[in-house]
Amino acid sequence: MAQIVVERVRHTYRPPRGKPVLALDDISLEVREREFLALLGPSGCGKSTLLYLIGGFLPVEGGRIAVDGRPVAGPGPDRGIVFQHFALFPWKTVRGNVLYGLERQSMPRAEREKRAQDFIDLVGLTGFEDSFPSHLSGGMKQRAAIARTLAFDPKILLMDEPFGALDAQTRHLMQSELLGIWQRTPKTVIFVTHDVQEAVYLADRVAVMSARPGHIKAVVDTRFDKNESNIFRAKHFVDKVDELWGLVREEAIKAQGSAAQATNGAGGESS
Amino acid sequence: MSSALIRYAPLGLLAIAWELIARLGLVSSSALPPLSKVVVSWFGLLQSGELVTNGVASLYRGSAGLLLAVVIGAALGIVMAWWRPVNALVSPLVEMFYPMPKSALIPVTAVWLGFGDGSKILLIFLGCMLPVTLGAFNGARASDRMLVWSARSMGASRPRMLWDVVVPSALPEMLNGIRTAIALAFILLVSSELIVARQGLGYLIGYLGADGAYAPMFAVVLTVAFLGFAADRLYMQVVRRVLAWRD
Amino acid sequence: MARLEKGAAALRARSGELAWRAAPFLSVALLIAAWEGVSASGAVTAFMLPGPARVFGRVWAEAVSGDLWINVGLTLYRALAGFAIAALAGVALGFAMARNRLAHWFFDPIISAGFPMPKIAFLPIVILWLGLFDVSKIVMVSLDAVFPVVTATLVGIAGVERELLWSARNMGAKEREVLWQIVLPAALPQIMTGLQVALPIALIVAVVTEMVMGGYGLGAATMTAWRFANSAGVFAGIVEIAAVGFVVVKGMAMLRRRLLLWHPEALEPSTV
Repeated sequence: MAQIVVERVRHTYRPPRGKPVLALDDISLEVREREFLALLGPSGCGKSTLLYLIGGFLPVEGGRIAVDGRPVAGPGPDRGIVFQHFALFPWKTVRGNVLYGLERQSMPRAEREKRAQDFIDLVGLTGFEDSFPSHLSGGMKQRAAIARTLAFDPKILLMDEPFGALDAQTRHLMQSELLGIWQRTPKTVIFVTHDVQEAVYLADRVAVMSARPGHIKAVVDTRFDKNESNIFRAKHFVDKVDELWGLVREEAIKAQGSAAQATNGAGGESS
Repeated sequence: MSSALIRYAPLGLLAIAWELIARLGLVSSSALPPLSKVVVSWFGLLQSGELVTNGVASLYRGSAGLLLAVVIGAALGIVMAWWRPVNALVSPLVEMFYPMPKSALIPVTAVWLGFGDGSKILLIFLGCMLPVTLGAFNGARASDRMLVWSARSMGASRPRMLWDVVVPSALPEMLNGIRTAIALAFILLVSSELIVARQGLGYLIGYLGADGAYAPMFAVVLTVAFLGFAADRLYMQVVRRVLAWRD
Repeated sequence: MARLEKGAAALRARSGELAWRAAPFLSVALLIAAWEGVSASGAVTAFMLPGPARVFGRVWAEAVSGDLWINVGLTLYRALAGFAIAALAGVALGFAMARNRLAHWFFDPIISAGFPMPKIAFLPIVILWLGLFDVSKIVMVSLDAVFPVVTATLVGIAGVERELLWSARNMGAKEREVLWQIVLPAALPQIMTGLQVALPIALIVAVVTEMVMGGYGLGAATMTAWRFANSAGVFAGIVEIAAVGFVVVKGMAMLRRRLLLWHPEALEPSTV
């Protein structure tokens, strides 16, 4: 049985000024337990919107979304989210941030502190527990955000282009670290990205979304051994990337065209 | 138009509430004369000429002082941003005098220039210059270096660059500084007229209050309050037009 | 040879830096020297411009006699009491307006129209209602100071990134917790800015009300000196009021730095 079921969901984006825009139209998707699913698509296709709907941050208007058989009614610690721009609480230290989720769960203090420290160590931020986010680099901030979300042990991990704001080198580093963490402590992951290589590298399956209004165009299997050395150059890897890139490219071109139209109308959201 | 009506409707509600509270005798009629009585007194003051005479005096003082503050303040701010030695010398003085409550200058301007227009104009000039200077200074400093360099490479002389590049990009912050200066001008004008004047709207308020003529006093208070509001709104309209034209 | 050049360059840089450091003291010294120059030259009468020695002498005399401290204390009391009321009421109103549409609709025109009004014009009405004592002064101060606080609070709350709110809810925070634990700290920098605007306003208004109403305090004392044609006293008043203003504003800036250690702005050097 699928853990997450998205069934014929529709969503309209209503900006405070301007015309409403249909972001998702009749989109359906199933995610299996403990699988790593990438949501791939051009800018503005609604992939982040879908993530927010699954996370319960936006209300479901048409269709239904169920997690473990129960309809999504709002945000909760069973579906942990990691945002592209980290969303760390700037007035709290790294430790304070990581502890925030733990404080909301009934757990003795000593256990909370230990758990927080463990996750800070896991993401490689030992020694920076008492630093404020403003003193950290982009990569460090994202590690802190990941530690914060992992700490309260959500069954499902929702990641919204988490490495999009980082430079290329840091991004590569973080990708392999994330893969390592996931392989050791498997969770269900939905990972939104527009980077085809990243999707193929990290995911078991890649769902390609169409341009707006978004629906699932294709789902491609990308499950193979990612720990091979020089995996990015391996033939089967490159072939998969080409296959997916072909699928995405069409949608990206469509998105460009409608983006030119959209600048005359509503502001439109990005992804 | 209708959105403006909806937005300001609560003020209408307050006006109605005022009239009701006063009429129903919930508060003594000397403490809160009914709004209708206040409106009637306002027309009375208009007719008697008191409102106009004093109003003109106040507006003259305020405008003159403000004009001086804006012209000299803006010039000073831009000069400070452009020439480092001037900045180094003047900056500490600006920082020192900025936190000073400008109302402290009321007695001293009265010492120098007495009860008349001169002291008010000087007061407003001195008090309002600082926000304008600061706005112009910050605005000019933020002047896009790229713009300056490209202007220079096209052979623009220094004064030319000042006019063509620095002043336009300094405009938004400078205009904001002027907005603060306008509000401050009103405060200083009314304050000084309440204390050391023989003419002007602030003086009129004090005089009517001392006489026990509360309804006319309320009328003038509301007039002054409205003038402050109107000046700000009018100014913002002008700003919008200036900035639009610049783009 | 290169070593010598390096040394010379370093020396030049050092003395350059020293010059910048010395500039504030130089400016003030020049100002006082110019003041002394003008008053001593006899270009203006001693009444119009008493020399620095007389003015500072007067400040000293007031300090010794205790009058200065009483006046400073009273003015600060009125300004700070009014400021505190304005701060609490302003933030509370800002939050109420942000969360309740009716409250927002009702208060928005009052705040928006009231902000540029010279509320000091209402002083005679406040005196009429509340008498000639400290209450009127404090109420007037609050009335003037509350506006920038409300406006800043509204801006601060509106500026809270929705991802912060979402993250908190994601971690199981209830709405009440989100308000106190996330919205308030996130809006704090903007609220502090509003408080920093409100504080000098509180001082200006406190001084003006004292000038109008009397009853001791720096404003009243300066007016008394003026009435007695004691121009040294008038100038001393300016110096004292300026000093109080300076200390209060600097104190507020320091408080801001302390409270907002975590803010990215703390990493940048401050500007005028």
